[in-house]
Amino acid sequence: MPSATQTEVTQMRGAEIVLQCLRAEGVDLVFGYPGGAIMPLYDALEGSGVRHILTRHEQGAVFAAEGYARATGKTGVAMATSGPGATNLVTGIADAKMDSVPLVCITGQVRSALIGTDAFQETDVFGMTLSLTKWSRLVKTIEEIPAVIAEAFYWARTGRPGPVMVDIPTDLMKAKMEFSGPVKFTARPRLVDDTADPSFTKSLIALLETSKKPVALVGAGAKLSGAINELRALLDYLKIPAFATVHGLGAVEPEADYYLGMVGMHGTRAANMALHETDLLLVFGARLDDRVTGDPSRFAPEARIVHFEIDPGQLDRVRSCDLPVIGDLADTIPMLHDALRKIALPNWSAWSAVACGPDRAELDPRGLAQPTIRFLDELFSRLPKDSIVLADVGQHQMWAAQRYHSNSPRGFITSGGLGAMGFALPAAIGVQMAKPETTVVCVSGDGGFQMNIQELATVHRLSLPIKMVIVDNKFLGMVRQWQQLFYQRNYAETDLSDNPDFVEIAKAYKIHAWHLEEAAMRQFPVSQETGDLLERFLHSSKPELLVFDCQREANVFPMVPAGAALSEMVFEEE
Amino acid sequence: MQAFHIQYRNTQGTLMRILTAVSRRALDIVYVHAQASPDDKTYKVTLLLEVNAKQVGQLRRDWYAIMDVSDVRVAPAESVAELGSAWPGATAHPPSHVTDQTARAARA
Repeated sequence: MPSATQTEVTQMRGAEIVLQCLRAEGVDLVFGYPGGAIMPLYDALEGSGVRHILTRHEQGAVFAAEGYARATGKTGVAMATSGPGATNLVTGIADAKMDSVPLVCITGQVRSALIGTDAFQETDVFGMTLSLTKWSRLVKTIEEIPAVIAEAFYWARTGRPGPVMVDIPTDLMKAKMEFSGPVKFTARPRLVDDTADPSFTKSLIALLETSKKPVALVGAGAKLSGAINELRALLDYLKIPAFATVHGLGAVEPEADYYLGMVGMHGTRAANMALHETDLLLVFGARLDDRVTGDPSRFAPEARIVHFEIDPGQLDRVRSCDLPVIGDLADTIPMLHDALRKIALPNWSAWSAVACGPDRAELDPRGLAQPTIRFLDELFSRLPKDSIVLADVGQHQMWAAQRYHSNSPRGFITSGGLGAMGFALPAAIGVQMAKPETTVVCVSGDGGFQMNIQELATVHRLSLPIKMVIVDNKFLGMVRQWQQLFYQRNYAETDLSDNPDFVEIAKAYKIHAWHLEEAAMRQFPVSQETGDLLERFLHSSKPELLVFDCQREANVFPMVPAGAALSEMVFEEE
Repeated sequence: MQAFHIQYRNTQGTLMRILTAVSRRALDIVYVHAQASPDDKTYKVTLLLEVNAKQVGQLRRDWYAIMDVSDVRVAPAESVAELGSAWPGATAHPPSHVTDQTARAARA
């Protein structure tokens, strides 16, 4: 039950109460865009202690809130007005759901008496986000605001993090009540018990003792649990081949000799082969989605699967597991490690030598993609150690995921599950706001960059020193790749050869920008001039945009075609 | 066909979340009946769905994850006529728990 945390009573507007409750939840930064229904909340911002970042589109606000949350682990907050403002948040809410991002969205709603009348700028955002949110509430009275805000943050952060939505009618934001202070939320006992039961270790040890080819797959859950050190210690102890999903990148130390890189549709050859050959798959906080499994009926065909998950809803979706381990990795990994120390494990060195051996090493970049990959390699090799790289969605995303070897679980940020183009630039705003001293690099394609290009205004206004890169092939590259490989090169509606000059656009937003031609990357090592340019770009104290003009029809490899098994990777155009 | 009997607290959106868990799987709802208890504290909804065993497990876990769902029971049903207004003698399905799986894994 809620309990008051302050005794002083003050007459306050609902909007002020909302902001006071946000402060009580540790929020000092929100991203948003004003409008009619939410105007009272904006009116109350001054002096509230909550800093508001104005983006130029509500989608920019929600992606920025996500970037903030993804970089810090804190709950991101986005606000928008009713109607189109609220609907513009929906993609970001879906993105937060898919990638387990703690997010609170606050929307204004038309005044209570008009709800349900198709009023001006009225939409049923509560209804339309039911399947996308962990929890949501249309506030009915001013008195419930403190409890609603407290409960919203609780569910956003608890268990598997995710998005919640609070819809507040404008009249309730203007109304006043005696406010005795924010409250704390105490959850009712849940039907789902996600407390770890240590008895799983006995079954898991039995499986390990009979396994000849065990492997470990690490997903987003590893970083969300905060159990990175425990995970790395366990993997160091087991010394079995390990690999990561795109959201697990950085969770495993990239220099570990048992680490095989990213797995899945554009994963490394070694990782995909090991995953295909394994007889025991330990899954740590990954949901085994179709980008990782390929054809589910041929995924890890010889393997028993042990699935460590905090969200029981993620079990048995694409592929059934043999042993579910429900709980927080921060609890279950130490339980397992402690149990393993008491026994003698089999010797898997022969298997590891094969799985991690030179015969399965990645091939050097070749063909049309080589200059782009070299460019990214040059860029990433010059980054300070704790840099954060964001990628939008498309070919550049996969190249960046393949080539950027962050040692931080929050060092590579992208829209993975939803694959929302236009994510990276606004998300980078949120990341840079969260980490003002960190080098933040935002890699986009020419298609995705244009989807939220208006956020250059936000970057300029805040003088955020984000290093923006556009890999400009003048195509919707990943779709074009599929059209080339599976639709007989029918490049329907993917040609962007009439792109504007992004450098001129950036200059119009008062952001320094320049082009870098692909030819500069054909010289290896790169010329002094090119190296100096990259150094200036990366170490500038201002926002910068670099447009890399590259080969139009390069493809991302390896690739597991849709519906194929992981063992059926394609390595070059056929 | 399976009959699902879901007990829940009638908080905002809970019934819709229960139904959405079905619709988002492109499943047709053959039958649905929602009712409040006499004391108005608990509500239950009965759904008749054509689902396979894997979908039963998935739906059960999705419903258990809804904040105000308090019980989920499943029983085979051939038709709407078999469904009554009282709770049937179906066995309760506990949440996915390691104990159920431990024996299977150990025997494998």
